[in-house]
Amino acid sequence: MISDKMKAAILKELKLKEFDIQDTTLANQVPGWDSLNHINVILAIEKEFAVKFKSIEVLKCKNLGDLQKLVDSKLPQ
Amino acid sequence: MKFRTVWERWQFNAENTPDKDAIIHWYAGEEPFRWSYKELLETANRFSVQLKKIGIQKNQVCAIIIRHNKFFYPLYMGIVGAGAIPAVLAYPNPRLHPDKFRDGIRGMSQRSGLDWIFTEKSLEPIIGPLLADSPTIHGLHFPLDWNISETDDAIQQELDSIRRERLPEDPFLLQHSSGTTGLQKPVLLSNRAVLEHVDNYGSSINFNASDKVASWLPLYHDMGLIAAYHLPLAFGMTSIQIDPFEWVLAPVLLLEAISKEKATLAWLPNFAYNMLADKVPDDELEGIDLQSWRLVINCSEPVRNESHVRFLERFSAYGFKESSLSACYAMAETTYGVTQTEPGKMPRTIQADRQKLSEGNVELIDDSSKARICVSSGKVIEGCQVKIVDENRHELVSGKVGEIAISSISMFDGYRNYPEKTAEVIEDGWYYSGDFGFIYEDECYVIGRKKDIIIMAGKNIYPEDIEDTVAKVSGVIPGRVVAFGHDDEKLGTEVVCVVAETNANTASEKEALRVAIMEAGLANDQSITRVYLVPTRWLIKSSAGKPSRKANKERILQSNEFLVEQV
Repeated sequence: MISDKMKAAILKELKLKEFDIQDTTLANQVPGWDSLNHINVILAIEKEFAVKFKSIEVLKCKNLGDLQKLVDSKLPQ
Repeated sequence: MKFRTVWERWQFNAENTPDKDAIIHWYAGEEPFRWSYKELLETANRFSVQLKKIGIQKNQVCAIIIRHNKFFYPLYMGIVGAGAIPAVLAYPNPRLHPDKFRDGIRGMSQRSGLDWIFTEKSLEPIIGPLLADSPTIHGLHFPLDWNISETDDAIQQELDSIRRERLPEDPFLLQHSSGTTGLQKPVLLSNRAVLEHVDNYGSSINFNASDKVASWLPLYHDMGLIAAYHLPLAFGMTSIQIDPFEWVLAPVLLLEAISKEKATLAWLPNFAYNMLADKVPDDELEGIDLQSWRLVINCSEPVRNESHVRFLERFSAYGFKESSLSACYAMAETTYGVTQTEPGKMPRTIQADRQKLSEGNVELIDDSSKARICVSSGKVIEGCQVKIVDENRHELVSGKVGEIAISSISMFDGYRNYPEKTAEVIEDGWYYSGDFGFIYEDECYVIGRKKDIIIMAGKNIYPEDIEDTVAKVSGVIPGRVVAFGHDDEKLGTEVVCVVAETNANTASEKEALRVAIMEAGLANDQSITRVYLVPTRWLIKSSAGKPSRKANKERILQSNEFLVEQV
């Protein structure tokens, strides 16, 4: 499930007040999340959670649920 | 050696250098797949056999809609080997509504006369409905599911005869030049046009036996198809092909491929320079060596000096050389290249007086605050001629700004099934490009477009398409919308801006409308970056009674009063 923290980081970066983000949401279904903006959103999430992704790891994420799992896997247990 | 057809040339390469890598199909994070020339042509021939078995006829147009896949290349070549005409079409972006995707193909098929579509099984629900109402499309095929191991002597004989009888003037491929949705312009190219072009363009960049091309460019685009795919294949060189969808998510893939395979050449649209320079983290560049990279050629978007400078600053520590920066001017209608800068020399820049430039005159100026830095796209290549003309198509002298007209031995014969559009752009053997530029000391500088086309990340976007989308959004006053492109220096490309009249008053109403406009754009595969909402009767009309893009762009950019942005 998408955490409030991740959702807030995405919305803030894309300058959106509200948008429904679910596990199955694709990045390019979120207004403003296009190829030119993609890396800015990823950097914003990295900063918010103080984690670092490899491009290949992000590439393998099929949807935002996968991205959340990637974030979770980087956080201290 | 002279070849009559492109197939003959491929065959020669397969016999001459059978074990050489023809195409290295790149997989992110995995081992790449390598096609040798011999294996590639043998597999292409097997596809040709299968194509004959299912009834594909000579000169039928075979559209390919397949995402990055190692069998794409032999399928494409197999279509050529069967005497049919390949046409690569864009793979649907997942956010694009299926109806919109079908509308695009339907419009395209009317002009291009698409006969067959070769695609993936997973796209059947999206593409299948087209069969019911397209007058030209005979059927869908799923070549990735075919068993192509069986041979057939009778069919092979038939194929041999088709290939022997094929002439230089026979159609070889169909590519599409940009146009509004459903009205992309089909450009049919002959064997001769492509063969002459690869030789002339190849010689302008000193293409040689040690060259290796790396590319993430989509193959439905002339830069990806002609420069990064046909050029190395014709010369018997190697190309490394990366999935464009993967590259935008991980730009480092191109640098990895260049470093690991010691690639020497790549073509990039301007925005990619900024993306690579600004968005690849340092830790991902560990071990990257770019010393082999002898040319990176900027094309498909206006060339920005700032992007070159940033790129050089970022990658010189990794072995990238200033002399590797390069630029060219190209278009599908002339097969590809028209001008090219001299290899081994950074493209020339001039500092032109911005005001004089807007008046149509090139005058150099020292004061950088009043100047526009123009980057050269180089000299005219062999087989092409360029002239600059005024609005009446009268030739202008060097140093005057006007429309760029081209004559080329690799010129298309006109848009297929589109005589009225052909008549608009071709006159007495000259193609009138719609691009604005000038010649200065024998070099060509491209500075803009005659029409209001927005070029975002190498993609031509027609403001009419954006305006149609936005006008349908509830809350926008119908017909009271303009769209335009605005330079984003940080991104190195234009972004799409929209000004729409509305009765929405409160901040929350405006925010909801902004999101609705952006979502409508997404459903049409249009990225709208800035939304300006203005009260009724705010937009300035042109003499034709329609809102004027130019006047409203100037007016809205004077202040940010109407920009809707949630902070």
